[in-house]
Order: sequence, then C-alpha cells, then structure tokens
Amino acid sequence: MLILARKGEEEIRIGDNIVIKVLGIHNGQVKLGIDAPRDVRVVRGELYREIQQANVEASHADRGAAVQAAAGLKRPT
Amino acid sequence: MKFTNRQFGELEFEDNHVVTFPDGLIGFEQFRKFLIVDDEATEPFRWLVSVEDGGLSFPLLDPGLLLPGYAADAATGGEKTVFVVATLRSAAGGSTVNLRSPIVIDNGARTAHQLILDDEGLPLQFPLAPSSPQKAGR
Repeated sequence: MLILARKGEEEIRIGDNIVIKVLGIHNGQVKLGIDAPRDVRVVRGELYREIQQANVEASHADRGAAVQAAAGLKRPT
Repeated sequence: MKFTNRQFGELEFEDNHVVTFPDGLIGFEQFRKFLIVDDEATEPFRWLVSVEDGGLSFPLLDPGLLLPGYAADAATGGEKTVFVVATLRSAAGGSTVNLRSPIVIDNGARTAHQLILDDEGLPLQFPLAPSSPQKAGR
C-alpha cells in the first residue's frame, strides 16, 4: 500500500484518468471528489463488502430452497 | 461441451449459450463463464450456473415479477436482460432479492455485468414474502 499525506484541495492522480481530490476535512470526516471514467466502479468499501456477502449467501442456495420460495411466491395473497 | 454441476448433474451446452462476465460477479471475480439454466422445478427462479466451478450457482429472478419498471431503470441501451440475485432462506418469508446490484446481460454480445446502482434507496435484501406490499404485475 502506498501511503500519501494530502491537505485540503490537494489531489492524487491514479493513472491518466483518475483524480481523487480532498475537498474538505471536518470533524474527522474527509470529503473526497473522485473523477474516473464511467467504466471504473467507484463505491464505498462497505457497500462492496455487503454485496460480496450477499452474493456468497445467494450462492449457498439449493433447489429445494428455491422450490419452497417459489411456492411462497405463487401463493395467492 | 459438458460439465457437471453439484445441483444439476451433467449439463451440456453450446458455446453460444455461454454468458461471459468480463469482471466476474462481485466477490467471485475469478469465474467468468456462466449458463442461465431454466429449471422447471424451481420456476420462476432461474439459475446462473458457473461452467468453471461445478459447485457455483446463483438463483435469479426476473425483477418484473416483483417491481414492474425496475428493469427498464436498471439497464439502458440495446437489448438487455435484467435479473436480480435471490438469497433463499428456509425461514418462512426470509428469502430476499438484491435490488442494488442486478445482473444485466447484453443479449447480443452475451456479456454480462453485475452492476451497483447509484440509488441508495434500493435494498440489498428486498423481501420476497407474499405479504409484501408490492402488487404482482399489473
């Protein structure tokens, strides 16, 4: 891991197309501006981990559980 | 070609049936090639089945069954098919679908991505329970 110290308004460039700028620092929270090409996924780390976890849990499904869930879906309300 | 899946046994497929995920699925980046398997026993759930790992499959649902209009919002441009990934739990009403990161398949190129939609209001665990307030279709 590369560790860099940056102050407000300073930037970090990653490759030719990605710029991360420190917009402000207030009460222990850093506000970052990120410019990246559309095909580069920029998301909060915790959301990415939650989706990973959801996928792992989804991959544990078996057909029996799906039959049961399907029956629940079809049941008239 | 043939391969064996834990749940479905031996499956035979043509190359042009394969859906390629250039980036894999989130958390499963190493697996790129999948089939969409229609399973009469589990209908309306379909399965995203890895041809590279015989133990890997994900139950999918057509989001139109739950939320009309969702697919059109999730995918724009060209002929696309949208699925949501389901998490099936044995507890009654415990099963959910992930509305935040749908699978979007480009029907022409047969490539697919798992998106992360910007709308923070979309839940990762949207309940499938029949008692949920959403109306079924129109």
